[in-house]
Amino acid sequence: MNVFITGAAGGLGRALAGECASRGYNVFLTDINEEGLNRLKRGLERQFGAAVAAKYCDLTDPRSFDALLAHIDAHGLLFDMVLNVAGCDFEGAFTEREREKLVQIVLLNNAAALRVTHALLRRRRPGRRFAIVFVSSLASMFPMPLKATYAASKRFLLDLAMALRQELKAEGVSVLAVCPAGLATTDETLSSIRAQGFMGDVTTASLEDVARRTIDLALAGKNLYIPGLAGRLLSLLGKIAPRSLAAAVVYRRWRRAHLIRAEKIRS
Amino acid sequence: MKAVAITGATSGIGLETARLLAREGFCVLLAGRCAERLSRAKARILSESPSARVACFQADLMQQREVLRAAAEMNAYLDAHCGGRLHALINNAGCVRSWYMTTEEGYEQQFALNHLSGFLLTHKLLPALLKSNGRVIMTGSASHKGIKIRWDDVMLRRRYNPLTAYKQSKLCNILFARGLNDRFAPGLRAYVVDPGLVKTDIGNKETGALVHFIWSLRKRGGVPPEIPAETFAYLCLKEPPPDGLYYYRCREKKYSKEVTRENADRLFALSERLCGLDGGFAAQDERAGAV
Repeated sequence: MNVFITGAAGGLGRALAGECASRGYNVFLTDINEEGLNRLKRGLERQFGAAVAAKYCDLTDPRSFDALLAHIDAHGLLFDMVLNVAGCDFEGAFTEREREKLVQIVLLNNAAALRVTHALLRRRRPGRRFAIVFVSSLASMFPMPLKATYAASKRFLLDLAMALRQELKAEGVSVLAVCPAGLATTDETLSSIRAQGFMGDVTTASLEDVARRTIDLALAGKNLYIPGLAGRLLSLLGKIAPRSLAAAVVYRRWRRAHLIRAEKIRS
Repeated sequence: MKAVAITGATSGIGLETARLLAREGFCVLLAGRCAERLSRAKARILSESPSARVACFQADLMQQREVLRAAAEMNAYLDAHCGGRLHALINNAGCVRSWYMTTEEGYEQQFALNHLSGFLLTHKLLPALLKSNGRVIMTGSASHKGIKIRWDDVMLRRRYNPLTAYKQSKLCNILFARGLNDRFAPGLRAYVVDPGLVKTDIGNKETGALVHFIWSLRKRGGVPPEIPAETFAYLCLKEPPPDGLYYYRCREKKYSKEVTRENADRLFALSERLCGLDGGFAAQDERAGAV
């Protein structure tokens, strides 16, 4: 089993890399954080005796990605699964954010995911099933004021996954969209979870469970994974409630967390 | 001047132990994550013991590269000021987590900080400790009892329970101390201190709202960190070095039956592998643990 993972050096990408390595899969890891990537490679080798390849790539730069593909092709590598994890967000209200950082969200979360998926579909092992995973977000279920661009970029992935699934079904390719709520990955996300109080605890799924279930469901050919009961309830509400009402409710909820965070950063 | 190195030295048990040992005339090497909190700790110690020698080492010891950097700086300091000798290393830095979180290497954070960081730091400071017939002291916990090491999944990736991960990391502390004594005593002595329930902020740092809340209630019943600090000081000062392994309020205490030579050896081998010490614990290969 050969698995290609983007955004592997941190957060859910690192957890998925660990999950795959613990199952004895061969993993090809890429990330913009080269040092982190190499440390993870060593860690996975030491912990699981896994076969790990790791290579830097800035997925938002076509030339950097071409160099990565040249490396892959030079070694004749073919894959059974691709995990599109690389993604970014910059907290804050739309007008408070830097213009180019907003654009960066779409370049990485969407454009890079297209680039990777298209290239990997052409490098799948012949005669075998192939699985594509997009890490979307619970944020894809509603319009999200204060996370407007991010939520929209995740919606893009969700719809892309649903559509590609139909297109590729006959070729033995399955497509899974993963929609987690909060995940305790970095000190930054932790402080964001903390700012939401007990609500943060309730909507935060455990990283290692999400990683394990993601791989299980991808292997089983499932199309949607929303971790946690709270996540499933919220996504249901997102389907029932009018989108304008959902946006208003989300705005009230996030504004408070946003203000607490802004206050913390100032102090 | 005898030197003692203390990790997690900017608050709680670490800080109180540093204050106490500085008053006793030790040169204290403080390690902590935050430069500002380090300089505050240093200022506090110097205000009480103006003639004390205090050095600060900023490092996030959860990450192995930071352990290696801090160890190199400490060794350079010891060579320059203390004749390359370290009388005691107190591996006190520890954390509590609400969720499964990993280090850069993909290691679970409580295991990485509470056990592995002390293991790697002790390895790097071993020559200075052996020169001084030194002592290595870990901050343990009575919660290590009633639990076994999950050898097939030591980072508890399957069904992570934060409290189990904490307890297991504290059992690792005693197994590590046992392993050190098996290998190096009497050239070096290793101990674990059970601090009891102490009023510190360990459960309030980087945890979720629930753990934060429970710990805030629970710590009210605790003793001030000055109390366990006395046990650390006792184990540093007592001559000849005490023979026991596990201490509570300056007296030996019973520990888990899981602390066997076999388990200690197994943890040693595993930790060597996870730290990349291919030449073994005692070999000071320059590339060892390279990350």
